[in-house]
Amino acid sequence: MTKYTAAEIRRQVERFLPKVLKPSRYLGTEWNAIQKDWHKTDVHMAFAFPDVYEVGMSHLGTRILYHLVNSYPEFLCERVFTPWVDMEATMREKNIPLYALESFQPLQAFDVVGFTLQYEMSYTNILNMLDLAGIPLRTEERGAEDPWIIAGGPCAFNPEPLVGFIDFFLLGESEEQLPEVLGLIAEQKKNPLPRQDFLRRVAQVQGVYVPDFYHVNYKPDGRIEKIEAESGVPVVVEKAIVQDLDQAFFPTNPVVPYLEIVHDRMMLEVMRGCSRGCRFCQAGMIYRPVRERSLETLLKQTEELVRSTGYDEIALTSLSSGDYSCIQPVIEKILEKHGDEGVGISLPSLRVDSFDVELAESVQKTRKSGLTFAPEAGTQRLRDVINKGVTEENLLNAAEAAFKKGWSTIKLYFMVGLPTETQEDIDGIIDLAKKVANLGTKLGRRNITITISTSIFVPKAHTPFQWEPQEAKASVELKQRYLKENLRDRRFKYNYHDVKTSYLEAVFAKGDRRLAPLLEWAFKHGARFDGWSDQFCEEVWINAFKELGIDPHFYANRAMDYDDILPWDHLESGVAKQFLVEEHHRALQEAKTIDCRHNVCTGCGICPGRGVQIELKG
Amino acid sequence: MRLRIAYTKVEDAKYIAHLDLTRVFERAIRRAGITMSYTEGFNQRPKISFGFALAVGTEGEREYVDIDIQREMDLGEALARIQEQLPPGIRLLQGRVLTQGAKPLMAVLNAASYRMRVLMALPILPERLQEGIGAWLAREHVTLSRFTKRGPTEKDIRPWVKRLEGEIHGDEIIFELEVEMGNAGSVRPEEVLVSLRELENLPLDLEALHIKRTGVHVSYQGENTSPLEHDGFVQLAEQS
Repeated sequence: MTKYTAAEIRRQVERFLPKVLKPSRYLGTEWNAIQKDWHKTDVHMAFAFPDVYEVGMSHLGTRILYHLVNSYPEFLCERVFTPWVDMEATMREKNIPLYALESFQPLQAFDVVGFTLQYEMSYTNILNMLDLAGIPLRTEERGAEDPWIIAGGPCAFNPEPLVGFIDFFLLGESEEQLPEVLGLIAEQKKNPLPRQDFLRRVAQVQGVYVPDFYHVNYKPDGRIEKIEAESGVPVVVEKAIVQDLDQAFFPTNPVVPYLEIVHDRMMLEVMRGCSRGCRFCQAGMIYRPVRERSLETLLKQTEELVRSTGYDEIALTSLSSGDYSCIQPVIEKILEKHGDEGVGISLPSLRVDSFDVELAESVQKTRKSGLTFAPEAGTQRLRDVINKGVTEENLLNAAEAAFKKGWSTIKLYFMVGLPTETQEDIDGIIDLAKKVANLGTKLGRRNITITISTSIFVPKAHTPFQWEPQEAKASVELKQRYLKENLRDRRFKYNYHDVKTSYLEAVFAKGDRRLAPLLEWAFKHGARFDGWSDQFCEEVWINAFKELGIDPHFYANRAMDYDDILPWDHLESGVAKQFLVEEHHRALQEAKTIDCRHNVCTGCGICPGRGVQIELKG
Repeated sequence: MRLRIAYTKVEDAKYIAHLDLTRVFERAIRRAGITMSYTEGFNQRPKISFGFALAVGTEGEREYVDIDIQREMDLGEALARIQEQLPPGIRLLQGRVLTQGAKPLMAVLNAASYRMRVLMALPILPERLQEGIGAWLAREHVTLSRFTKRGPTEKDIRPWVKRLEGEIHGDEIIFELEVEMGNAGSVRPEEVLVSLRELENLPLDLEALHIKRTGVHVSYQGENTSPLEHDGFVQLAEQS
């Protein structure tokens, strides 16, 4: 590929930018975007989100790290997203390499390209972005002039399918870890060490996983025989944790996009971690322990956010914001201070049992959007299996309060294909939906809409259900059809996830490094934007499995044994494997496990020896 | 207090879509610490309104916006504070406080002028250019087929064109175009060039086209005035 300078790229791109969809996606000139001097900074990082701008800009972690890195005078961080298919086609036609938004510098010119791994279905976009940048896909094909390709985020807890493309992974929270890594890269630029020596050095940083140093052997039946670490690197890589969340870096001058993004509002992170202990939930395991921010910190941050962005809505984000111990005071104080300026609050993740309709009413300026509840399973038995401590009574009470306050649209989220699920549990979904709808009718609400959405259970690494198989596609489809036929009442709207993509998600979620060639093959045969139903092409993947002789069922539909070596056994979230085993047992016994935040320790293993503890501010 | 402001939308700001422009102004005004007035009712929106939409990628040298703010304040101060919060490329040029009952921009604006720079695919003589333009203007109807979501439709673009001039500068032609605009529609500047190429065989390279809207006007009895001009403005507001 021709080497282009930033100025040349800009000139070329400007010629066709008016002709592509949403050109604002490709310009780093938004309010609060950071334009740093390329020549006055030691390390240049491109933060890469492998999806379109509107999705990537809605992700809080991306925003935190962009501003964090730029808060260091010696580092420069710019953004890059996956160009939408029309832009990609034009760039390829005109031979223009992928560039970072702020400076139009080609990705190739950066020292580091850091991808965030938010979901498995974005993996082909990573390869596509490297390819568009003219960076060799394989680590061994890259030289000293190429950037380091690194990746972090939740999927880094089982990044094995990406081994071979990514030089090293960052596990856990990056607020302290990433600057340390960039410091090492600055030194490497000054006094270059051979690649392996540098990697060995960076492997000493908390949470850094360099796959080159870990060797995997397989048994004849395809299972893993052993994973062996070379000497001089940790046998087990353990995630990095921010010790003092209250004082941790948080950007209060975030970029304000021109075009409407998915979550187009201020984001205030009230806490991190969740100890509710839902057994399917990876986030609930890998972000432990629960750490809250103090009321004072949050109010100060809100004030700064309002001044610097001009947004009229602030989302109180976390895995379960209703559980934040100061939720009531923080809402009251924010409205008291900024309500007159037209600033409203949104609570994106409310649980049925922590749900207080008064709370919802105080935050909802208009009632056009419905209320969302996630019972996840249709019967109490199955909710106990997954440890979703929500009862039918909780749900009906919340629904009743909502109807009485004037809401007429309620959304219910469920999963199908959960471990131990039977027909009774599927009927339970219909039953619950009907009870909610009937309640609304009884309370005199007209135009009731109950939206029932079902996703498909995908077993995830580092959860108590990591050993579980995903239910076979055909039987999931039967369940979806059954629900569709039985939710025909005009008060119901039924949405369901696509079986084909959930299946592929399971393959990669439980996959190992033998899947890397599959990814590459699929990418080279046109797979990209696999998470977008209008772009996903199942045929490419069917051919990929066939061509490479890989059996997807081996990954997605096989129950693993406790003594199997899991592809991610050398990576550690801090939650002990023994705890996950016990939780799996308890699930099968339909036994609930309490939330350690308000009760005794359940022994998950995260707190001891890591200098962290549960931190509640209320 | 209702403000009418003239501003530019040039450089990178030309990529901001018309639909996104309300948000850009709304957030800038909130950052400036100025409280806007909101519409009544179910879904409250700030009272900000623009004139005719500018196509994405087309620069505007002088566009207009009306903004309602809650408290009386000095015009100059308001403009200065808002300017500070606007992205590069949007520069406030002039403003005035509207009188009670002034008509909104969309009710008074009815014309726009454009400057278009286009490369010649083949060099031509100035006479040839003038001949082509003259012939085009002499046509009573210029029918153009357009592909819309509902399939191909035909429209006559000639009635919308009030003025068309062109001049050769080196290897490019600079066109000055003035069109009528209204609720019934208008003509897109590139459509005029397309038909010039097709009907009069002018060798225009439309791949290398640069369009700028130089102004939007209140056109009355053959005279163009700015929606900021007091007299023309009030007179029109009363007459129409």
